[in-house]
Order: sequence, then structure tokens, then C-alpha cells
Amino acid sequence: MPAPTSPYWNPKTETLPKDQLRALQLTKLQRLVERAWHTSPFHRRLYEKAGVRPEHIKTLDDIRRLPFMTREDWMDNQAGKPMFGDLITRPESDAIRYHLTSGTSGRQPLRVLDSRKDWSWIADMWCYGFWGFGIRPDDKVFFAFSYGSFIGFWGAHYCCEKMGCLTLASGNMTTEQRVKQIVEMGVTVVCATPTYALRMGQTAEKMGIDLKRDGKVRRVVVSGEPAGSIPAVKKMIEDMWGGKCGDTAGMTEIGTIMIFECDHQPGGPHIIEDHFIEEVLDPDSGTPMSYGERGERVVTSFGRGFIPLIRYRTKDLVCKVPHTHCDCGRTGDIYEGGILGRVDDMKLIRGTNVYPRAVEAVVREHAEVEEFQIVIQRVDNVQDEITVKVELKPDQQDCWPRLQAQLGKDLADAHEGLRFNVEQAKTGELPRFELKAKRLQDLRPKY
Amino acid sequence: MDRTTDLLGNPLTVDDIELLDLYRRLKALSGRADLPPVATANVKQAMVMLWNACNDLALLHEEPGCD
Ligand SMILES: [Zn+2]
Repeated sequence: MPAPTSPYWNPKTETLPKDQLRALQLTKLQRLVERAWHTSPFHRRLYEKAGVRPEHIKTLDDIRRLPFMTREDWMDNQAGKPMFGDLITRPESDAIRYHLTSGTSGRQPLRVLDSRKDWSWIADMWCYGFWGFGIRPDDKVFFAFSYGSFIGFWGAHYCCEKMGCLTLASGNMTTEQRVKQIVEMGVTVVCATPTYALRMGQTAEKMGIDLKRDGKVRRVVVSGEPAGSIPAVKKMIEDMWGGKCGDTAGMTEIGTIMIFECDHQPGGPHIIEDHFIEEVLDPDSGTPMSYGERGERVVTSFGRGFIPLIRYRTKDLVCKVPHTHCDCGRTGDIYEGGILGRVDDMKLIRGTNVYPRAVEAVVREHAEVEEFQIVIQRVDNVQDEITVKVELKPDQQDCWPRLQAQLGKDLADAHEGLRFNVEQAKTGELPRFELKAKRLQDLRPKY
Repeated sequence: MDRTTDLLGNPLTVDDIELLDLYRRLKALSGRADLPPVATANVKQAMVMLWNACNDLALLHEEPGCD
């Protein structure tokens, strides 16, 4: 059977004129708030406290009458009423999946449940992204993913089954085994975190495998780290793999992705606006930001029946631009540069703001670098020092100290002249990551 | 429920009507208690997939009982 030729997974809603898209969002929002009011005691309390009722939602702007939902509220609710709090809308026995947040920040993980319907919807959101990035039923898709309690690429795996791709799981494999299978099986699409896509590429080099020559990969889908939208990181991945690299972003709280890069790659991923309302707000005042201004993502999701997610503060830093920045025909707006970082991961060093993602963007411009780490220390209880430790590729050792000087200059130029110490690390000294990389160590005393 | 338009108020197409009809028939079947587990479970899966298509196409939204 021939595959459909549409460039869109869902042509009807992905290309809806903006006014109709907004009307659809309003209809869905009204029904979502109504349902949350009647089935989620957590939300009922929140809304009663704020003096807002479902019938108050008459226009899309009325969303601002609804109080925010935070991760802290959710965790408190779970802790107070184990295991899932009274946020959930249905009995636990209706669920078919249980997942946890990855707990990257050392916090208590969040616990989530999904029904059959939720799980199918979760896969479908990935389908918007995979189809939109040019993946088709005849592709062979490899998941470099652990298939554990973290939701990660689980939904993407089911998306590929739904689309009819040959879907390869690799939870039990070492990096070497993964590289070998990708080549042996003629895999055409690889899914991984950006960090791990680079690591597999480096491992292939060490194994004497030229992925461009020996492999058939034409797409690398990355997720899980802001680096997926850094052009220099993408270029490194593309140079290693020989296929186009596309970013996606999601979160356990949603269960799936809410943004994806289309095949045209206009510089950022599209928002799946028929399933999500993505507000961009000033993180301090909560007022809406205009197109082109940075702010915090606040998400409302229409998909997951078990857990209504309404005006959820994500702490992700983004910059929204109109859909017209892309000529693919989708009417979903775009997050320029993807997820730019976390609202709370900014570091203040001697009066200058430093974001780990911005440092990574500079470091990755230098192809000689294999791995790096950012260390912040307080010297003599007074002076904050920032050091970038760099591990060079084995065959690039002689670029030092030229690289040291250049990197120091580039980092300073990107940070209002702030001085960065640049040090060389020994081969294999710095930690490697499979899931979310933790490349920043803030060793300053906390008080 | 209004069976003549989608969530946007557009008249349903012949294909929309077919999809919705399949979904409703599967939903009714999956609610029956007298079928063998092999029928109920597989029909339920099929019903959920049909819900997914109808939901994405904005033919319906939510639908209690289709979990
Ligand atoms: Zn596009």
C-alpha cells in the first residue's frame, strides 16, 4: 500500500487559518476546564480559591483568569495524598502506564498515569513531529534509549509502530553494540539525546566506522536537552551521521512532545497548537510577552485525560515567533532556537548572566572539542571564577594552546567581556552521559 | 451531540461520518460485558485508535468512557 503523500500528519488542523485555530483552542479549553472542575478535586480547589468557574471562560484571553499550576503544587498534592494525589481524574485502575520524571535536579520525582486513550494520544503527538520531519513508514527507526521508568522516547517508539516503521529498541545495548546494529540493519532514523547522538558518533570513530560511508542514517531526531536546537551541535551531529538533525521537546508532565522541527527547519520547532496552548510570560510578573521576546513557557494540554495540565509553569525559557517564519504551511507558531534553557539555570558571575546553553553554543563551534564541563568556584570567599574544562578529540591534541586562547576570547565576547578560565582535561577524564547531560558544577557555598 | 458539524462548525464530510460511525459502533461494542475477553480487549484498542483519529480531526473532543 503506498504511503500517503501529505507532508503533514494532520493536514486539516496543522494548516488551519489562525482564527479557526484559536476558535478550536477555545472550544477545547472550555471543555477541559469543565472536566477538570468536575473530576479533579485539585483543580476544583484551585479554581474555587481564585473565584473562577468554567462558565467564566468565554474567550481565549479568559485563560488568564485561571490560576497557574506549579510543579511544587503537584508534588505537595502527591505527598499529601499518596501515591497520585487528587489531581487525577479517574481511578488508578483505568491506567495502563506508570512513569516517573527523571529527577534531574535531585528533587522528588513526579508520578504520572496514562489511560489507553492518553497513551494513544501521546504516540500521536510524536507522529505530528516524526511525519513533519520527513519520517515515513518505510523508515527503520532506532531508539538509543533505556526503556525504563522515565517516559523519554517511549511515546516516540509507539508513534513509529503506529506509522508502520520498522522500530528497533536498544535498551539492553552498549554504545558499541548500538553503533554496530545501526550500521548492520541499515537504520535510516536514529533517536537520542543530542549528547548521546554525539557520543555514539565518537564511539563509531573509535571503532573505525565511518557512519556517513557505512551507514544509511538520513534523519537524527533529538530530544531531552536544549542543545538540540543549537546550530553548532546540530552541525556536529549531521557531520558525524550524514543525516539531517531535527529537534523535538516534551516533558513528563505532558507525556509527549509539544514542539517539533518540520522538514523546512526555519530555526526553531513548531508548536502543536491544536493540542496545546503555549503562553510565553514574564517569569516574575506573569504578564504575556510579545512575539520575539524571551519568557517562560506556560502550557495547557488538551490531551492527557488522567492529568489535566492547565496553565502549568514549566520554567523553560523560550522566544515565540509567528508561524510565518516558516514556509512549510503549518500555522503553529515557532519557538525560535527551541528551548533556550531554564528560567532558573541562569548563573550570575561577577555581575554577568551566564546560561549553560549559551556556553555550550560557543564551545560547540569548535569541532576539536569532544567533551566539556563548566565549573564555578568562589576563590578566597570573594571572587567567583568560571572555568570551562575541555577534553579534546584524540587526534586534535596539537590544537592547544591556540584553541585555549580562541575559546577564552569567544566566551568573553559572548558574555560582556567576562573572563573564562579555559583548561584542558585529560582524555576520558570528563563524565559522559546517556540521558540528560549535567555539564555544570556550581561549587560555590550555598547560603 | 450535534452530528452534522465538526468542532469548528464545518459540515461533516462523508469520510468524517464514516470515522465517527466506526468509533461509535466500536465504543458500543467495547462496553458490552457478554463478549469474550479476546473480543472486548481488542475492540477497546480499536475504539481508542478511532477516537484518536476523530479527536485529531476535531470531529469530537474528550468523550468520557473511551478509556
Ligand atoms: Zn515549518
